[in-house]
Amino acid sequence: MADRLVVEQLHKRFDDIVAVDGVDLRIEPGEILGFLGPNGAGKSTTMRSILGLVAYDSGSITLDGEPIGPTSRRSIGYMPQERGLYMRMKVHEHIAYIGRLAGLDSATANDRANRWVERVGLVERRDDLIQELSTGNQQRVQLAVSLVHEPSLLVLDEPFAGLDPVAVATLSDVMVEQMESGVSVIFSSHQLELVQDLTDRVTIIAAGRTRVTGTVTDLRNSSPDRNLEIVWQGEAPHWQPPDIAPLPDSPAGVSRFVVPSATNSADLIASASQAGSIASIRYEPPSLDQVFLEVVGQ
Amino acid sequence: MIWEVAKREITIRSRTKSYRIITAFILLLAIAGPIAVKLWPGSDDARELAIGVVQDENFSADFEATAPLVFGNDYDLDIVPVEQSEVDELLAQDAFEVAVEPGPTLVWKSSAEPEVGLLIGASLQQSALVGRAGEQGMTPTELGELLAPIDLGERFVEDQGETSDIVITMAFIGLLMAFAMPQVFGQLAMMSVIEEKASRVIEVLLSHIRPRTLLAGKVVGISLLSVAQMVLVCGGMLASLLLTTDVDIPNSAYLFLPVLVICLLLGLVLYITLFSLVGSLISRQEDAAQVMMPVFLPIMGGYFVGTNAAFGNASSLLARILTYVPFTAPMLLPVRVARDAVSTPMMLVSLAGMALTVVLLIRLAGRAYEFTLLRTGSRIGWGELVQLLRSS
Repeated sequence: MADRLVVEQLHKRFDDIVAVDGVDLRIEPGEILGFLGPNGAGKSTTMRSILGLVAYDSGSITLDGEPIGPTSRRSIGYMPQERGLYMRMKVHEHIAYIGRLAGLDSATANDRANRWVERVGLVERRDDLIQELSTGNQQRVQLAVSLVHEPSLLVLDEPFAGLDPVAVATLSDVMVEQMESGVSVIFSSHQLELVQDLTDRVTIIAAGRTRVTGTVTDLRNSSPDRNLEIVWQGEAPHWQPPDIAPLPDSPAGVSRFVVPSATNSADLIASASQAGSIASIRYEPPSLDQVFLEVVGQ
Repeated sequence: MIWEVAKREITIRSRTKSYRIITAFILLLAIAGPIAVKLWPGSDDARELAIGVVQDENFSADFEATAPLVFGNDYDLDIVPVEQSEVDELLAQDAFEVAVEPGPTLVWKSSAEPEVGLLIGASLQQSALVGRAGEQGMTPTELGELLAPIDLGERFVEDQGETSDIVITMAFIGLLMAFAMPQVFGQLAMMSVIEEKASRVIEVLLSHIRPRTLLAGKVVGISLLSVAQMVLVCGGMLASLLLTTDVDIPNSAYLFLPVLVICLLLGLVLYITLFSLVGSLISRQEDAAQVMMPVFLPIMGGYFVGTNAAFGNASSLLARILTYVPFTAPMLLPVRVARDAVSTPMMLVSLAGMALTVVLLIRLAGRAYEFTLLRTGSRIGWGELVQLLRSS
């Protein structure tokens, strides 16, 4: 399938600060891509470059195979990291206004705004001022604003920040719906469990550069480490794999280790079962959190 | 898209309590002003004047008939018949302001009023003429024909112009508006830009429209909002004036009005654009005072020189220069045109200069907007802005 968005070797410098130093990413139609990186890694600058809000120094960005420009950018929906809303506008009025700016005629913008007000659960707040809404509800409006013109690419910068579990669930549902209807969704987040649940693939950047990209499963499996957790029946015996110390935060009766992926797991289990009685055992690739920390070098 | 942005500005700003309250307040003043002047005690043009007249067969009856004709509409006369013995006492009690005794003699309380004295004298003269004419067998009609006023014409060697008090009053009201409205609505535009930058809604907007479209929409919307307020207030004042007074509007006022309106509109657009640009240089309202100062200076200068031109020297060197400076011309030009101190060709030069500056400023501000709108954090200096524009 042809890529919807391709970013290649993007570079951007603000005076003496190198914000982006070679970011590559791509996303297919109907895919959710997690765009990860520590604070200051260049995620927002990359997203703002895609939106044309930052003039990048070099590199290329193509949308549906064509160099991105003002016209093609109209098919992008954007949700900035901070609430980008007019506080003194009403909910429906705001969504319809952005729809008209995105090129919809008045009637269509109103219809779509009605639909999105309903979809994000704000029917009763339809004519309330934005400033009267909670943070979570404002984020729902922000989501509706980014989707009112039915974009083919959705760019969400930290969309889950500050949301309660109900709002997180609504936002996650909408993202999956959009993906299923063929929309490409790229989003950044520090809530890696959510990323792991929602995304097909992730791209991790650090210090302005793309470090790894791939499916969550592939990234986890490609790690040189494995997590080993043994729950003993009774007190944990003084057992450990050769040359590997247990992790310091293991609770009583539980031994946790990070072992090289090349280790023979059957040998380990056999050795452990000779040391004590095992209640349960888990041997698995590291979590996305661990992969992330490993990749960004922390 | 420009109209969409403009519509939003109009809708949101006109919805605010401050705009509604200020507009209602100014409208109330505009309507109530002429009414209050009309109702104010003593504001009526006709002055009430009581004249005591000692009854005498030689003049009192004729005086009562001729005095109202001589005093005319400027006086509301009350002729009080009195006895000679009562004159001094009633004058002391302010029962009337002057008395006419047989002689005839005018009796004042302590000081004389020359104009009233002259008018009473003329009335007595008229009475005497009627009496004498009757003695000569002349009828009052014949006397009227004899004394019919001549039709006195006028001509001027030099063109006196058509300046009138009404035109100068219009120019001064225009000066006040050209001084106040750009500040009020310019700051409204500036606050709107700062709000968009601070809330980051600017990022959402600019992902759909270009910065210059946003600027143009903002300028159009806020200008229309200010024009609506201007029309409402001026319409209210005019209606109130027409209903309460007998204003005779000269043709020169109708000729002057387009000049005034064009100057006001160009001034508004110019300053709203300038304030919007200034607003894009900062990200916090706290920094607004610093960046606004250079914009206030020409407004203040134009106002003070304009006031002097309205009521003092309309052709001072400073007034002449500032008439052709586009940032002060909206205040100076109408006043000097009203004072007949600018020739038509030079008026057109000044108007063209303003219009050209507005066009150039909108283009320049549109370009600057592209650099400044997405810049947050510290204030962007004018020098840095010039560098950015040059490098682009």
